[in-house]
Amino acid sequence: MISIKELNYFYPVKKADKRQALNNLNLKVAPNTFFALTGPNGSGKSTLFSILSGLSLPKDGQITIDGLDIVRHQAKIRHMMGVVFQSPALDKHLTLAENFQIHGDLYGMEPSLLQKRLDEDLSWTGLKDRLGEMVGTLSGGMARRVELVKALLHRPKILLMDEPTNGLDPGSRRDFLDMVDNLRRERDMTILMTSHIFAEAERADEVGILHKGSLLASGSPKELTKRLGHEMVVIQTSKRKHAEFLKTKLSKKTGIKVWQRDSELRVEKVDKKTLDDLLSHYRDRFNEIAIKRPTLEDLFIHITQEKEES
Amino acid sequence: MVNGVISMAKRELVRFFRQGHRVVGSIAQPIIFWLFLGSGFGASFQAPGLEGVSYTEYFFPGILLMVVLFSGIFSTITVIEDRNQGLLQGILVAPVPRIAIVFGKVIGAMVIGLLQAFLLLLTIPFLAIEPGFAGILMVILGLIIAALGFTALGFLIAWNMESTSGFHAIMSVFLLPLWMLSGAMFPMTQAPVWLEWLMFLNPVSHALLLIRMPLYQPISELLTSSQYIIAFIVAIIWAVGCLMLALSRVNRQQCSA
Repeated sequence: MISIKELNYFYPVKKADKRQALNNLNLKVAPNTFFALTGPNGSGKSTLFSILSGLSLPKDGQITIDGLDIVRHQAKIRHMMGVVFQSPALDKHLTLAENFQIHGDLYGMEPSLLQKRLDEDLSWTGLKDRLGEMVGTLSGGMARRVELVKALLHRPKILLMDEPTNGLDPGSRRDFLDMVDNLRRERDMTILMTSHIFAEAERADEVGILHKGSLLASGSPKELTKRLGHEMVVIQTSKRKHAEFLKTKLSKKTGIKVWQRDSELRVEKVDKKTLDDLLSHYRDRFNEIAIKRPTLEDLFIHITQEKEES
Repeated sequence: MVNGVISMAKRELVRFFRQGHRVVGSIAQPIIFWLFLGSGFGASFQAPGLEGVSYTEYFFPGILLMVVLFSGIFSTITVIEDRNQGLLQGILVAPVPRIAIVFGKVIGAMVIGLLQAFLLLLTIPFLAIEPGFAGILMVILGLIIAALGFTALGFLIAWNMESTSGFHAIMSVFLLPLWMLSGAMFPMTQAPVWLEWLMFLNPVSHALLLIRMPLYQPISELLTSSQYIIAFIVAIIWAVGCLMLALSRVNRQQCSA
Protein backbone atom coordinates (compact mmCIF):
# COMPACT_ATOMS: atom_id res chain seq x y z
CA MET A 1 0.00 0.00 0.00
CA ILE A 2 1.25 3.45 -0.90
CA SER A 3 -0.03 6.19 1.37
CA ILE A 4 0.63 9.88 0.79
CA LYS A 5 -0.53 12.42 3.36
CA GLU A 6 -0.44 16.20 3.06
CA LEU A 7 2.57 16.19 0.78
CA ASN A 8 4.07 19.48 -0.36
CA TYR A 9 7.11 19.96 -2.55
CA PHE A 10 8.81 23.18 -3.59
CA TYR A 11 11.51 23.83 -6.19
CA PRO A 12 13.89 26.72 -5.59
CA VAL A 13 13.48 29.37 -8.28
CA LYS A 14 15.61 32.30 -7.20
CA LYS A 15 17.42 33.05 -3.97
CA ALA A 16 14.42 33.46 -1.71
CA ASP A 17 11.78 32.32 -4.15
CA LYS A 18 10.30 28.89 -4.66
CA ARG A 19 7.71 27.24 -6.89
CA GLN A 20 5.21 24.79 -5.45
CA ALA A 21 5.07 21.56 -7.43
CA LEU A 22 2.90 19.52 -5.04
CA ASN A 23 0.22 21.11 -2.96
CA ASN A 24 -1.12 19.29 0.10
CA LEU A 25 -1.43 16.04 -1.83
CA ASN A 26 -3.28 13.09 -0.31
CA LEU A 27 -3.40 9.77 -2.12
CA LYS A 28 -3.79 6.09 -1.36
CA VAL A 29 -2.91 3.22 -3.66
CA ALA A 30 -4.20 -0.17 -2.57
CA PRO A 31 -1.98 -3.26 -2.89
CA ASN A 32 -2.00 -5.11 -6.23
CA THR A 33 -3.77 -2.37 -8.12
CA PHE A 34 -2.77 -0.70 -11.32
CA PHE A 35 -2.94 2.99 -10.49
CA ALA A 36 -2.52 5.62 -13.20
CA LEU A 37 -1.61 9.13 -12.21
CA THR A 38 -2.58 11.48 -14.96
CA GLY A 39 -2.75 15.17 -15.65
CA PRO A 40 -1.29 17.71 -18.04
CA ASN A 41 2.40 18.60 -18.23
CA GLY A 42 3.47 20.51 -15.14
CA SER A 43 0.76 19.03 -12.93
CA GLY A 44 3.29 17.48 -10.53
CA LYS A 45 3.33 13.88 -11.78
CA SER A 46 7.07 13.72 -12.35
CA THR A 47 7.80 15.42 -9.03
CA LEU A 48 5.72 12.83 -7.20
CA PHE A 49 7.43 10.08 -9.19
CA SER A 50 10.82 11.51 -8.28
CA ILE A 51 9.88 11.45 -4.57
CA LEU A 52 8.41 7.94 -4.68
CA SER A 53 11.44 6.56 -6.51
CA GLY A 54 13.76 8.09 -3.91
CA LEU A 55 15.44 10.68 -6.12
CA SER A 56 14.00 13.64 -4.18
CA LEU A 57 13.20 14.06 -0.52
CA PRO A 58 10.06 15.75 0.79
CA LYS A 59 10.34 18.15 3.71
CA ASP A 60 6.77 17.95 4.96
CA GLY A 61 3.94 15.52 4.57
CA GLN A 62 4.31 11.79 4.96
CA ILE A 63 4.71 8.93 2.52
CA THR A 64 4.64 5.33 3.64
CA ILE A 65 5.07 2.24 1.52
CA ASP A 66 3.90 -0.98 3.13
CA GLY A 67 3.93 0.96 6.40
CA LEU A 68 7.56 2.06 6.00
CA ASP A 69 8.39 5.74 5.98
CA ILE A 70 9.96 6.66 2.64
CA VAL A 71 12.60 8.93 4.18
CA ARG A 72 13.66 6.73 7.10
CA HIS A 73 13.63 3.37 5.32
CA GLN A 74 15.08 4.26 1.94
CA ALA A 75 17.22 1.15 1.45
CA LYS A 76 14.41 -1.28 2.32
CA ILE A 77 11.94 0.53 0.09
CA ARG A 78 14.37 0.61 -2.84
CA HIS A 79 14.54 -3.19 -2.74
CA MET A 80 10.74 -3.29 -2.99
CA MET A 81 10.57 -1.02 -6.01
CA GLY A 82 11.12 -1.42 -9.70
CA VAL A 83 11.46 1.83 -11.59
CA VAL A 84 10.89 2.61 -15.27
CA PHE A 85 11.87 6.13 -16.25
CA GLN A 86 10.70 8.37 -19.09
CA SER A 87 13.93 7.75 -21.00
CA PRO A 88 15.34 4.23 -20.58
CA ALA A 89 18.04 4.01 -17.91
CA LEU A 90 20.20 1.77 -20.07
CA ASP A 91 23.81 2.04 -21.19
CA LYS A 92 23.76 2.18 -24.98
CA HIS A 93 27.41 1.14 -25.20
CA LEU A 94 26.71 -2.14 -23.40
CA THR A 95 24.81 -5.24 -24.47
CA LEU A 96 21.45 -6.20 -23.02
CA ALA A 97 23.13 -8.92 -20.96
CA GLU A 98 25.67 -6.45 -19.56
CA ASN A 99 22.94 -3.99 -18.63
CA PHE A 100 21.00 -6.74 -16.83
CA GLN A 101 24.20 -7.82 -15.06
CA ILE A 102 24.79 -4.29 -13.73
CA HIS A 103 21.20 -4.18 -12.47
CA GLY A 104 21.67 -7.55 -10.77
CA ASP A 105 24.85 -6.32 -9.08
CA LEU A 106 23.24 -3.08 -7.92
CA TYR A 107 20.32 -5.03 -6.42
CA GLY A 108 22.57 -7.66 -4.82
CA MET A 109 21.37 -10.58 -6.95
CA GLU A 110 23.34 -13.81 -7.18
CA PRO A 111 24.41 -14.66 -10.78
CA SER A 112 22.35 -17.90 -10.74
CA LEU A 113 19.23 -16.06 -9.58
CA LEU A 114 19.75 -13.39 -12.22
CA GLN A 115 20.06 -16.05 -14.92
CA LYS A 116 16.90 -17.81 -13.69
CA ARG A 117 14.91 -14.57 -13.73
CA LEU A 118 16.24 -13.67 -17.17
CA ASP A 119 15.15 -17.08 -18.50
CA GLU A 120 11.68 -16.48 -17.09
CA ASP A 121 11.26 -12.88 -18.21
CA LEU A 122 12.88 -12.86 -21.61
CA SER A 123 10.52 -15.53 -22.92
CA TRP A 124 7.50 -13.21 -22.83
CA THR A 125 9.26 -10.16 -24.17
CA GLY A 126 10.80 -11.61 -27.35
CA LEU A 127 14.25 -10.50 -26.25
CA LYS A 128 15.83 -13.88 -25.62
CA ASP A 129 17.86 -13.96 -28.84
CA ARG A 130 19.01 -10.38 -28.49
CA LEU A 131 20.93 -10.58 -25.21
CA GLY A 132 24.28 -10.07 -26.94
CA GLU A 133 23.14 -7.00 -28.89
CA MET A 134 24.10 -3.46 -27.98
CA VAL A 135 21.25 -1.49 -26.43
CA GLY A 136 22.03 1.36 -28.84
CA THR A 137 20.89 -0.78 -31.77
CA LEU A 138 17.41 -1.42 -30.33
CA SER A 139 14.27 0.40 -31.43
CA GLY A 140 12.50 2.66 -28.93
CA GLY A 141 9.84 0.01 -28.27
CA MET A 142 12.43 -2.73 -27.70
CA ALA A 143 14.45 -0.50 -25.38
CA ARG A 144 11.28 0.01 -23.33
CA ARG A 145 10.79 -3.74 -23.04
CA VAL A 146 14.40 -4.11 -21.88
CA GLU A 147 13.80 -1.38 -19.32
CA LEU A 148 10.66 -3.13 -18.09
CA VAL A 149 12.41 -6.52 -17.80
CA LYS A 150 15.30 -4.85 -15.96
CA ALA A 151 12.94 -3.15 -13.50
CA LEU A 152 11.29 -6.51 -12.73
CA LEU A 153 14.41 -8.65 -12.33
CA HIS A 154 14.58 -8.27 -8.56
CA ARG A 155 10.82 -9.00 -8.32
CA PRO A 156 9.65 -5.71 -6.85
CA LYS A 157 6.36 -5.45 -4.97
CA ILE A 158 5.79 -2.05 -6.52
CA LEU A 159 6.46 -1.03 -10.11
CA LEU A 160 6.79 2.71 -10.72
CA MET A 161 6.62 3.92 -14.32
CA ASP A 162 7.06 7.55 -15.34
CA GLU A 163 5.38 8.19 -18.69
CA PRO A 164 6.80 4.90 -20.00
CA THR A 165 5.28 5.23 -23.47
CA ASN A 166 6.79 8.63 -24.07
CA GLY A 167 8.25 8.86 -27.57
CA LEU A 168 6.84 5.53 -28.75
CA ASP A 169 4.82 5.10 -31.93
CA PRO A 170 1.17 4.02 -31.46
CA GLY A 171 1.94 0.34 -32.18
CA SER A 172 4.82 0.13 -29.71
CA ARG A 173 2.77 2.05 -27.17
CA ARG A 174 -0.07 -0.46 -27.43
CA ASP A 175 2.36 -3.41 -27.22
CA PHE A 176 3.98 -1.97 -24.10
CA LEU A 177 0.67 -1.36 -22.35
CA ASP A 178 -0.54 -4.86 -23.30
CA MET A 179 2.59 -6.20 -21.64
CA VAL A 180 1.80 -4.23 -18.48
CA ASP A 181 -1.78 -5.61 -18.60
CA ASN A 182 -0.41 -9.16 -18.73
CA LEU A 183 1.94 -8.45 -15.86
CA ARG A 184 -0.80 -7.22 -13.55
CA ARG A 185 -2.83 -10.33 -14.29
CA GLU A 186 0.06 -12.70 -13.65
CA ARG A 187 1.88 -11.13 -10.72
CA ASP A 188 0.95 -9.74 -7.33
CA MET A 189 2.29 -6.30 -7.85
CA THR A 190 1.19 -2.71 -7.33
CA ILE A 191 1.76 -0.65 -10.44
CA LEU A 192 1.86 3.13 -10.34
CA MET A 193 2.17 4.72 -13.75
CA THR A 194 2.20 8.40 -14.63
CA SER A 195 0.94 9.49 -18.02
CA HIS A 196 -0.27 12.70 -19.56
CA ILE A 197 -2.29 10.64 -22.04
CA PHE A 198 -5.74 10.19 -20.54
CA ALA A 199 -6.61 7.29 -22.85
CA GLU A 200 -3.68 5.31 -21.37
CA ALA A 201 -4.88 5.98 -17.83
CA GLU A 202 -8.27 4.46 -18.67
CA ARG A 203 -6.62 1.03 -18.79
CA ALA A 204 -5.83 1.22 -15.07
CA ASP A 205 -7.90 -0.06 -12.12
CA GLU A 206 -7.72 3.31 -10.41
CA VAL A 207 -6.93 6.76 -11.73
CA GLY A 208 -5.80 9.92 -9.98
CA ILE A 209 -6.07 13.21 -11.85
CA LEU A 210 -3.45 15.77 -10.84
CA HIS A 211 -3.65 19.46 -11.58
CA LYS A 212 -1.30 22.15 -10.29
CA GLY A 213 0.09 19.78 -7.69
CA SER A 214 -3.26 18.76 -6.20
CA LEU A 215 -5.42 15.72 -6.69
CA LEU A 216 -8.56 16.77 -8.55
CA ALA A 217 -10.28 13.40 -8.56
CA SER A 218 -9.55 9.73 -8.05
CA GLY A 219 -11.41 6.47 -8.50
CA SER A 220 -11.93 3.83 -11.13
CA PRO A 221 -12.14 5.17 -14.72
CA LYS A 222 -15.80 4.08 -14.86
CA GLU A 223 -16.72 5.87 -11.63
CA LEU A 224 -14.95 9.01 -12.71
CA THR A 225 -16.43 9.28 -16.20
CA LYS A 226 -19.89 8.46 -14.81
CA ARG A 227 -19.85 11.88 -13.16
CA LEU A 228 -20.44 13.36 -16.60
CA GLY A 229 -23.34 11.06 -17.43
CA HIS A 230 -23.42 8.26 -19.97
CA GLU A 231 -23.15 10.35 -23.10
CA MET A 232 -21.90 13.73 -24.16
CA VAL A 233 -22.05 15.81 -27.29
CA VAL A 234 -18.90 17.00 -28.99
CA ILE A 235 -19.19 19.91 -31.41
CA GLN A 236 -16.23 20.41 -33.68
CA THR A 237 -15.78 23.87 -35.17
CA SER A 238 -13.10 25.08 -37.54
CA LYS A 239 -12.09 28.15 -35.56
CA ARG A 240 -11.71 29.00 -31.92
CA LYS A 241 -13.82 32.15 -32.30
CA HIS A 242 -16.67 30.05 -33.70
CA ALA A 243 -16.46 27.79 -30.68
CA GLU A 244 -16.52 30.80 -28.38
CA PHE A 245 -19.54 32.19 -30.21
CA LEU A 246 -21.46 28.91 -30.00
CA LYS A 247 -20.56 28.45 -26.37
CA THR A 248 -22.05 31.83 -25.50
CA LYS A 249 -25.18 31.17 -27.53
CA LEU A 250 -25.75 27.70 -26.09
CA SER A 251 -25.12 28.75 -22.51
CA LYS A 252 -27.32 31.83 -22.72
CA LYS A 253 -30.27 30.23 -24.49
CA THR A 254 -30.46 26.93 -22.63
CA GLY A 255 -28.36 27.24 -19.52
CA ILE A 256 -26.63 24.02 -20.56
CA LYS A 257 -23.07 23.62 -19.29
CA VAL A 258 -20.67 23.89 -22.22
CA TRP A 259 -16.92 23.29 -22.03
CA GLN A 260 -14.56 24.59 -24.60
CA ARG A 261 -11.18 23.27 -25.64
CA ASP A 262 -9.71 25.31 -28.48
CA SER A 263 -12.11 24.89 -31.40
CA GLU A 264 -14.04 22.05 -29.76
CA LEU A 265 -17.10 22.22 -27.51
CA ARG A 266 -18.29 19.53 -25.14
CA VAL A 267 -21.83 19.53 -23.91
CA GLU A 268 -23.02 17.10 -21.25
CA LYS A 269 -26.38 15.47 -20.65
CA VAL A 270 -28.34 17.14 -23.43
CA ASP A 271 -31.15 16.17 -25.67
CA LYS A 272 -29.72 15.90 -29.17
CA LYS A 273 -32.86 17.23 -30.79
CA THR A 274 -32.75 20.40 -28.70
CA LEU A 275 -29.16 20.81 -29.65
CA ASP A 276 -29.85 20.25 -33.34
CA ASP A 277 -32.61 22.87 -33.27
CA LEU A 278 -30.32 25.36 -31.69
CA LEU A 279 -27.45 24.71 -33.98
CA SER A 280 -29.54 24.78 -37.12
CA HIS A 281 -29.37 28.55 -36.84
CA TYR A 282 -25.59 28.45 -36.78
CA ARG A 283 -24.77 25.57 -39.14
CA ASP A 284 -22.02 27.55 -40.85
CA ARG A 285 -20.15 27.84 -37.53
CA PHE A 286 -19.35 24.16 -36.92
CA ASN A 287 -18.13 21.12 -38.87
CA GLU A 288 -19.68 18.18 -37.08
CA ILE A 289 -21.58 17.01 -34.03
CA ALA A 290 -20.93 13.63 -32.46
CA ILE A 291 -22.29 11.78 -29.47
CA LYS A 292 -19.75 9.84 -27.48
CA ARG A 293 -19.03 8.33 -24.09
CA PRO A 294 -17.26 10.74 -21.77
CA THR A 295 -13.56 10.10 -21.25
CA LEU A 296 -11.16 11.01 -18.47
CA GLU A 297 -10.02 13.90 -20.61
CA ASP A 298 -13.60 15.20 -20.65
CA LEU A 299 -13.70 14.90 -16.89
CA PHE A 300 -10.42 16.75 -16.57
CA ILE A 301 -11.68 19.61 -18.78
CA HIS A 302 -14.94 19.63 -16.84
CA ILE A 303 -13.32 19.85 -13.41
CA THR A 304 -10.60 22.35 -14.29
CA GLN A 305 -12.97 24.73 -16.09
CA GLU A 306 -15.45 24.51 -13.27
CA LYS A 307 -12.67 25.33 -10.84
CA GLU A 308 -11.55 28.29 -12.87
CA GLU A 309 -15.10 29.59 -13.20
CA SER A 310 -15.73 29.28 -9.47
CA MET B 1 27.93 -2.77 -2.14
CA VAL B 2 31.21 -4.39 -3.27
CA ASN B 3 29.44 -5.99 -6.25
CA GLY B 4 27.99 -2.61 -7.12
CA VAL B 5 31.44 -0.96 -7.03
CA ILE B 6 33.02 -3.73 -9.13
CA SER B 7 30.15 -3.60 -11.58
CA MET B 8 30.43 0.17 -12.02
CA ALA B 9 34.21 0.00 -12.40
CA LYS B 10 33.93 -2.85 -14.92
CA ARG B 11 31.44 -0.83 -16.89
CA GLU B 12 33.99 1.99 -17.24
CA LEU B 13 36.59 -0.43 -18.58
CA VAL B 14 34.22 -2.16 -21.02
CA ARG B 15 33.00 1.17 -22.35
CA PHE B 16 36.58 2.42 -22.73
CA PHE B 17 37.83 -0.58 -24.68
CA ARG B 18 34.68 -0.65 -26.79
CA GLN B 19 35.21 2.93 -27.95
CA GLY B 20 38.17 2.49 -30.27
CA HIS B 21 38.66 6.20 -30.90
CA ARG B 22 38.94 6.79 -27.16
CA VAL B 23 41.60 4.08 -26.80
CA VAL B 24 43.64 5.40 -29.74
CA GLY B 25 43.24 9.03 -28.64
CA SER B 26 44.20 8.43 -25.04
CA ILE B 27 47.36 6.52 -26.01
CA ALA B 28 48.37 8.65 -29.00
CA GLN B 29 47.82 12.07 -27.41
CA PRO B 30 50.44 11.85 -24.64
CA ILE B 31 52.93 10.18 -26.96
CA ILE B 32 52.48 12.93 -29.57
CA PHE B 33 52.84 15.60 -26.85
CA TRP B 34 55.91 13.88 -25.46
CA LEU B 35 57.66 13.42 -28.79
CA PHE B 36 56.81 16.79 -30.34
CA LEU B 37 57.41 18.94 -27.27
CA GLY B 38 60.40 16.84 -26.28
CA SER B 39 61.97 17.32 -29.71
CA GLY B 40 60.96 20.97 -30.03
CA PHE B 41 62.21 22.15 -26.65
CA GLY B 42 65.13 19.72 -26.52
CA ALA B 43 67.75 22.10 -27.91
CA SER B 44 66.79 25.08 -25.75
CA PHE B 45 66.20 23.23 -22.46
CA GLN B 46 68.79 24.21 -19.90
CA ALA B 47 67.96 24.20 -16.22
CA PRO B 48 70.32 24.52 -13.26
CA GLY B 49 70.76 21.18 -11.54
CA LEU B 50 69.38 19.33 -14.54
CA GLU B 51 72.50 19.33 -16.69
CA GLY B 52 72.66 16.27 -18.87
CA VAL B 53 68.89 15.72 -18.64
CA SER B 54 67.17 15.90 -22.01
CA TYR B 55 63.78 17.58 -22.25
CA THR B 56 62.27 14.28 -23.40
CA GLU B 57 63.49 12.73 -20.16
CA TYR B 58 62.47 15.73 -18.06
CA PHE B 59 58.99 15.74 -19.58
CA PHE B 60 58.46 11.98 -19.03
CA PRO B 61 56.95 12.18 -15.47
CA GLY B 62 54.77 15.07 -16.67
CA ILE B 63 53.45 12.91 -19.49
CA LEU B 64 52.68 10.09 -17.05
CA LEU B 65 50.76 12.62 -14.96
CA MET B 66 48.98 13.87 -18.07
CA VAL B 67 47.82 10.35 -18.90
CA VAL B 68 46.10 9.93 -15.54
CA LEU B 69 44.73 13.49 -15.72
CA PHE B 70 43.06 12.90 -19.11
CA SER B 71 41.86 9.49 -18.11
CA GLY B 72 40.22 10.97 -15.03
CA ILE B 73 38.64 13.78 -17.03
CA PHE B 74 37.25 11.63 -19.83
CA SER B 75 35.93 9.00 -17.48
CA THR B 76 34.20 11.43 -15.17
CA ILE B 77 32.70 13.42 -18.05
CA THR B 78 30.51 10.36 -18.58
CA VAL B 79 28.75 11.28 -15.31
CA ILE B 80 27.15 14.19 -17.20
CA GLU B 81 26.30 11.99 -20.19
CA ASP B 82 24.86 9.32 -17.90
CA ARG B 83 22.66 11.91 -16.22
CA ASN B 84 21.48 13.44 -19.51
CA GLN B 85 20.66 10.03 -20.97
CA GLY B 86 18.73 9.01 -17.85
CA LEU B 87 21.13 6.22 -16.94
CA LEU B 88 22.29 7.83 -13.71
CA GLN B 89 18.72 7.96 -12.37
CA GLY B 90 18.45 4.21 -12.76
CA ILE B 91 21.57 3.77 -10.65
CA LEU B 92 20.51 6.31 -8.04
CA VAL B 93 17.23 4.50 -7.29
CA ALA B 94 19.04 1.19 -6.66
CA PRO B 95 19.45 0.05 -3.05
CA VAL B 96 23.24 0.28 -3.28
CA PRO B 97 24.73 3.22 -1.30
CA ARG B 98 25.51 6.24 -3.45
CA ILE B 99 29.18 6.09 -2.50
CA ALA B 100 29.40 2.91 -4.59
CA ILE B 101 28.85 5.08 -7.67
CA VAL B 102 31.81 7.28 -6.75
CA PHE B 103 34.09 4.38 -5.90
CA GLY B 104 33.08 2.46 -9.01
CA LYS B 105 33.68 5.41 -11.29
CA VAL B 106 36.93 6.42 -9.60
CA ILE B 107 38.37 2.90 -9.54
CA GLY B 108 37.37 2.32 -13.19
CA ALA B 109 38.97 5.58 -14.31
CA MET B 110 42.08 4.90 -12.22
CA VAL B 111 42.56 1.50 -13.78
CA ILE B 112 42.17 2.93 -17.29
CA GLY B 113 44.69 5.69 -16.53
CA LEU B 114 47.14 3.29 -14.92
CA LEU B 115 46.97 0.85 -17.86
CA GLN B 116 47.93 3.67 -20.20
CA ALA B 117 50.66 4.84 -17.87
CA PHE B 118 52.05 1.29 -17.72
CA LEU B 119 52.38 1.33 -21.50
CA LEU B 120 54.48 4.49 -21.22
CA LEU B 121 56.55 2.99 -18.41
CA LEU B 122 57.71 0.41 -20.97
CA THR B 123 59.74 3.19 -22.64
CA ILE B 124 61.95 3.67 -19.54
CA PRO B 125 64.76 1.47 -20.95
CA PHE B 126 65.05 3.93 -23.86
CA LEU B 127 65.60 6.85 -21.51
CA ALA B 128 68.86 7.37 -19.63
CA ILE B 129 67.30 6.46 -16.28
CA GLU B 130 67.41 3.28 -14.22
CA PRO B 131 64.87 3.43 -11.42
CA GLY B 132 64.95 -0.30 -10.68
CA PHE B 133 61.97 -2.45 -9.69
CA ALA B 134 61.40 -0.71 -6.34
CA GLY B 135 61.61 2.68 -8.06
CA ILE B 136 58.97 1.62 -10.62
CA LEU B 137 56.70 0.48 -7.78
CA MET B 138 57.10 3.89 -6.12
CA VAL B 139 56.31 5.60 -9.44
CA ILE B 140 53.16 3.47 -9.66
CA LEU B 141 52.23 4.51 -6.11
CA GLY B 142 52.59 8.15 -7.15
CA LEU B 143 50.47 7.52 -10.23
CA ILE B 144 47.76 5.87 -8.13
CA ILE B 145 47.59 8.88 -5.78
CA ALA B 146 47.53 11.33 -8.72
CA ALA B 147 44.86 9.29 -10.52
CA LEU B 148 42.73 9.19 -7.38
CA GLY B 149 43.03 12.97 -6.95
CA PHE B 150 42.24 13.85 -10.57
CA THR B 151 39.35 11.39 -10.90
CA ALA B 152 37.73 12.41 -7.63
CA LEU B 153 38.16 16.08 -8.55
CA GLY B 154 36.74 15.42 -12.05
CA PHE B 155 33.80 13.54 -10.52
CA LEU B 156 33.10 16.37 -8.10
CA ILE B 157 33.08 18.92 -10.93
CA ALA B 158 31.06 16.72 -13.30
CA TRP B 159 28.40 15.99 -10.67
CA ASN B 160 27.62 19.70 -10.44
CA MET B 161 27.65 20.37 -14.20
CA GLU B 162 24.70 20.14 -16.54
CA SER B 163 26.52 20.03 -19.87
CA THR B 164 29.70 18.48 -21.20
CA SER B 165 30.65 21.80 -22.81
CA GLY B 166 30.65 23.40 -19.35
CA PHE B 167 32.94 20.63 -18.16
CA HIS B 168 35.32 21.28 -21.07
CA ALA B 169 35.46 24.95 -20.07
CA ILE B 170 36.39 24.00 -16.49
CA MET B 171 38.96 21.57 -17.86
CA SER B 172 40.61 24.33 -19.92
CA VAL B 173 40.74 26.98 -17.22
CA PHE B 174 41.26 24.84 -14.13
CA LEU B 175 42.35 21.24 -14.64
CA LEU B 176 44.88 21.78 -17.44
CA PRO B 177 46.55 24.72 -15.64
CA LEU B 178 46.85 22.52 -12.55
CA TRP B 179 48.90 20.13 -14.66
CA MET B 180 50.89 22.87 -16.42
CA LEU B 181 51.79 24.48 -13.11
CA SER B 182 52.91 21.24 -11.57
CA GLY B 183 56.42 21.37 -12.95
CA ALA B 184 55.46 18.91 -15.67
CA MET B 185 56.54 21.24 -18.50
CA PHE B 186 59.16 23.44 -16.83
CA PRO B 187 61.02 23.28 -13.53
CA MET B 188 59.81 25.31 -10.59
CA THR B 189 63.24 26.89 -10.10
CA GLN B 190 63.12 28.49 -13.57
CA ALA B 191 59.82 30.25 -12.93
CA PRO B 192 59.30 33.85 -11.60
CA VAL B 193 58.79 34.04 -7.84
CA TRP B 194 54.99 34.52 -8.02
CA LEU B 195 54.68 31.54 -10.32
CA GLU B 196 57.01 29.51 -8.16
CA TRP B 197 54.66 30.12 -5.23
CA LEU B 198 51.65 29.16 -7.28
CA MET B 199 53.41 25.98 -8.29
CA PHE B 200 54.37 25.20 -4.72
CA LEU B 201 50.78 25.64 -3.53
CA ASN B 202 49.49 23.45 -6.35
CA PRO B 203 48.91 19.96 -4.89
CA VAL B 204 49.50 18.45 -8.33
CA SER B 205 53.15 19.65 -8.15
CA HIS B 206 53.56 17.40 -5.13
CA ALA B 207 51.89 14.49 -6.92
CA LEU B 208 54.38 14.99 -9.75
CA LEU B 209 57.28 14.78 -7.32
CA LEU B 210 55.97 11.37 -6.22
CA ILE B 211 56.39 10.25 -9.83
CA ARG B 212 59.63 12.08 -10.69
CA MET B 213 61.75 11.46 -7.59
CA PRO B 214 61.60 7.61 -7.60
CA LEU B 215 62.95 7.65 -11.16
CA TYR B 216 66.24 9.09 -9.88
CA GLN B 217 66.57 8.27 -6.19
CA PRO B 218 66.70 4.89 -4.47
CA ILE B 219 63.87 4.02 -2.09
CA SER B 220 66.10 4.36 0.99
CA GLU B 221 66.86 7.97 0.06
CA LEU B 222 63.22 8.74 -0.72
CA LEU B 223 61.98 7.59 2.66
CA THR B 224 64.38 9.97 4.40
CA SER B 225 63.88 12.87 1.99
CA SER B 226 61.82 15.64 3.59
CA GLN B 227 60.85 16.88 0.11
CA TYR B 228 59.42 13.46 -0.79
CA ILE B 229 57.66 13.03 2.56
CA ILE B 230 56.05 16.50 2.34
CA ALA B 231 55.03 15.80 -1.29
CA PHE B 232 53.54 12.47 -0.21
CA ILE B 233 51.51 14.03 2.64
CA VAL B 234 50.24 16.95 0.51
CA ALA B 235 49.30 14.68 -2.41
CA ILE B 236 47.47 12.24 -0.12
CA ILE B 237 45.57 15.08 1.58
CA TRP B 238 44.60 16.46 -1.86
CA ALA B 239 43.50 13.10 -3.28
CA VAL B 240 41.62 11.91 -0.19
CA GLY B 241 40.13 15.40 0.30
CA CYS B 242 38.77 15.41 -3.27
CA LEU B 243 37.37 11.91 -2.75
CA MET B 244 35.67 12.94 0.50
CA LEU B 245 34.15 16.02 -1.14
CA ALA B 246 32.88 13.88 -4.03
CA LEU B 247 31.36 11.36 -1.61
CA SER B 248 29.71 14.06 0.43
CA ARG B 249 28.28 15.78 -2.67
CA VAL B 250 26.88 12.56 -4.12
CA ASN B 251 25.28 11.66 -0.80
CA ARG B 252 23.33 14.90 -0.78
CA GLN B 253 19.85 14.14 -2.14
CA GLN B 254 17.69 16.68 -3.90
CA CYS B 255 15.34 18.10 -1.29
CA SER B 256 12.23 20.27 -1.25
CA ALA B 257 13.06 23.99 -0.95
